[in-house]
Amino acid sequence: MMLSALILIPLVGTVIVSLWPHHRPAKEVGQVALLVQVLSLVGAIVVATRFDIQQPDLQFVESLPWIDALGLTYQLGVDGLSMPLLVINSLLGAIAVYASAATIQRPRLYFSLMLLINMAVAGAFLAQNLILFFIFYELELIPLYLLIAIWGGARRGYAATKFLIYTATSGILILGGFLGFVWLGGTGSFNYDATLAQSMTLWQQGTILIAILIGFGIKIPLFPFHTWLPDAHVEASTPVSVLLAGVLLKLGTYGIVRFGLQMLPDAWAFFAPWLAVWAVVSVLYGSLAAIAQTDMKKMVAYSSIGHMGYILLAAAAATPLAILGTVLQMVSHGLISGLLFLLVGIVYKTTGTRDLTVLRGLLNPERGLPLVGSLMILGVMASAGIPGMVGFISEFIVFRGSFLTFPVPTLLCMVGAGLTAVYFLLLVNRVFFGRLAIALPSDKVEPDVMLPPVAWRDRLPAIALALLIVVLGLQPHWLSRWSEVTTLAWRSPSVAIAQPPSTTPPSMAGFAPLPFTPDVTDD
Amino acid sequence: MLPMTNTLSPNLVNDHPLQPFIERLLKAEALLPDTEINVLEVVGILKSYGVVLDAYAVNLKYIADHQFLLLFPFFKYFNGDITLNKLLKHWWHDRINYEYAEYCMRTMLWHGGGGLDAYLDSDEFQQNCDRAIQAKLKGNWLMQTLHRLFPDFLPEQVRQSAYYSGLGQFWTVMSEMFLTLSDLYDQQRITSIPEVVAHIKDGLVAAASLPITYSVEIRGDRHDLLPASAGLTFLMDTAVPYVEAVFFRGTPFLGTVSYNAQVQQISPDQSRFAYGALYADPVPVGGAGIPPTLLMQDMRHFLPDYLADYYRQGLRGDEDVRVQITQSFQKSMFCVTSAALQGLLPHPATTEVPAEQAANQAFLATWMDRLMSSRLAVVQLAER
Repeated sequence: MMLSALILIPLVGTVIVSLWPHHRPAKEVGQVALLVQVLSLVGAIVVATRFDIQQPDLQFVESLPWIDALGLTYQLGVDGLSMPLLVINSLLGAIAVYASAATIQRPRLYFSLMLLINMAVAGAFLAQNLILFFIFYELELIPLYLLIAIWGGARRGYAATKFLIYTATSGILILGGFLGFVWLGGTGSFNYDATLAQSMTLWQQGTILIAILIGFGIKIPLFPFHTWLPDAHVEASTPVSVLLAGVLLKLGTYGIVRFGLQMLPDAWAFFAPWLAVWAVVSVLYGSLAAIAQTDMKKMVAYSSIGHMGYILLAAAAATPLAILGTVLQMVSHGLISGLLFLLVGIVYKTTGTRDLTVLRGLLNPERGLPLVGSLMILGVMASAGIPGMVGFISEFIVFRGSFLTFPVPTLLCMVGAGLTAVYFLLLVNRVFFGRLAIALPSDKVEPDVMLPPVAWRDRLPAIALALLIVVLGLQPHWLSRWSEVTTLAWRSPSVAIAQPPSTTPPSMAGFAPLPFTPDVTDD
Repeated sequence: MLPMTNTLSPNLVNDHPLQPFIERLLKAEALLPDTEINVLEVVGILKSYGVVLDAYAVNLKYIADHQFLLLFPFFKYFNGDITLNKLLKHWWHDRINYEYAEYCMRTMLWHGGGGLDAYLDSDEFQQNCDRAIQAKLKGNWLMQTLHRLFPDFLPEQVRQSAYYSGLGQFWTVMSEMFLTLSDLYDQQRITSIPEVVAHIKDGLVAAASLPITYSVEIRGDRHDLLPASAGLTFLMDTAVPYVEAVFFRGTPFLGTVSYNAQVQQISPDQSRFAYGALYADPVPVGGAGIPPTLLMQDMRHFLPDYLADYYRQGLRGDEDVRVQITQSFQKSMFCVTSAALQGLLPHPATTEVPAEQAANQAFLATWMDRLMSSRLAVVQLAER
């Protein structure tokens, strides 16, 4: 029941929040929602503390038959891949609720949608049944659409619809892929089973993999399926952007790793070199596009596209270290992009603009946003992979794990890491250094720039994320320990051979030695 | 054929873009609008400035008199009173930033101007200076060698000491003037900006002919460096060069704006510098390495309650107090400039003689030319 609780807490919270009596003050709605999110975070932490890191396979498995005829089982479980993502989901969910304005319009609907997203994402990470995953994956789409369409910026209708069309397409492709699993695999159950693909030909596996790659590629997003993301980010409010970048994109990378790498190993290995090229294109495209942006939020959004490419590279390389890198990069990107979006949100709220051509000198100690500016510098350093922060750890592990398998793509992705420094230095240099200004110079005589102070309430979530980024950067083991054994078991011949067949759980049996597993044993 | 003539009448030149300000000055008003808030800000900040100036002046004179030709004056800011407590306070930086006084002194020394500058280049000064240096170096062969190797170095140090002393004497007068102003405001005997300006102008005029002298005592002998016979006076030899150097020209200090001197973003003509207090941008103040920050930090310790309360009512409250102090300070410096210009008018402002009126107009117009790029327009605004 422990895992079900992670789904039930936000679900019950959604009901409570949406039914919160109207005669009660509106700000209570937000407080209740925050309480629910904190409870769900506590729940995730409890699961994490009971999680046996020595155990490579699924833990706390729950299984209830649901619709047998469909092969739909309510089957949950957690392993080293999903454990950190569960915690990040609850953490960023709590931060998003906390960072929402107390005066938001229609708070009952807003906060219940927020909780619904939290619940759907937790469900998707926990699901051990393809249809169940799909249900949660689609369920998350609707509240996010509404959050953008109702509380978004000026072009929210356009952005939300674009998001909906893209993600619905992604859903159709994924559903098609999942159906293919069962039909071509010849079983009646949609439960996760790494042996599903064993009986398929490479062509069959490849067809399914392409559907899944494009489906999740839209979600991640990877070039050329990315165009919905910058629009959605620009129109979404700050907390929604935090959720979108920090949590929802991870569904895409999680899907690729889980269903592509883990469940279609032959086709994955066949396509891997091309996936690495795709990763490079995505990384370089995202980074170069970020350089050209003049909207801070768009720049961070394109940076996300670049940084998600690393995950595809590492997944393509599929060494144990690289797979560990995918998990770390998911977590670190969640924390860093969450921080950056929070800070951009504060800048926008205080100055009324995100225009890089207009904003200057926000680091001004007296009249600017010195603390926000300092955190921003820390955030962009983390994003650019400066040692001492979690971004370095994850990117280093990704590159280290992928280099021997795909040296050239890895080097090109490292160029992308260098480009991160380029565009974020442009951002920091323009917006935070120099003389304070929030409008273009004019001939009109105007009083000196006066920005309202930033409340500690607004700074607090950003400070918390910044602390996590530094702490996990200095003590990466606290992050990697959850996934090391799992990712090692996936691709390490020695471990797989050492395990007698009887103790190998069915879900892991398909990950025994593969002929083309890159031979990286020094990690 | 008609001879070439210049038929422009003197009246025709009354079309300066800042003509309203010229007229205000001629009517004994000020460059700063006369509002209740402005009076509160200007008097309040000058009160605090008075306290700080007094500390600066005492220290400048101490350095001039007692740290004469010391190449490593480690304890120059201690005024001769070196205790552990003072040392700790110094390191803790909760102290008067005497560095700012030296910054102003060096600005004056560099821009020069006035009788003091001229006298420091005279033969008479050179001889006095040599005698003082010889007396000071007696028995110190190391310094004697240095002096022989670099014969211009120590005289330049002595010139700097003379500026230490000159600025100290100037500020002593100004400090007292500002504190009296504050007392008069507290007694409600000064309630408007023109009255503030009149008070300062009267103070400057009263002290105008105060002699500026400087002598040092070396081994019991007194050596005159600026003797009374040189005829240096308060107004023309310290006040006017000070206003020129610190209010108008200033220095393009390092800050958030970078100047590229090689492409002449800084004028090669020193007299066209416009980086002084009347041009200063208050917004970067508070950042490290921006000299006015030191002064503003000093002044925030001595703000009268009414001014501190006023600052707290601002949007950022205490957070941007140094910027707010700079804004008030700039306003007060426009008042001091008003007083100085009125005091220096070639003819009485009320004169009816057209030629004298034209001379006054021309005099003020040349100063207004220089104020065109100053913050004059911004201090006219009512918003803070």
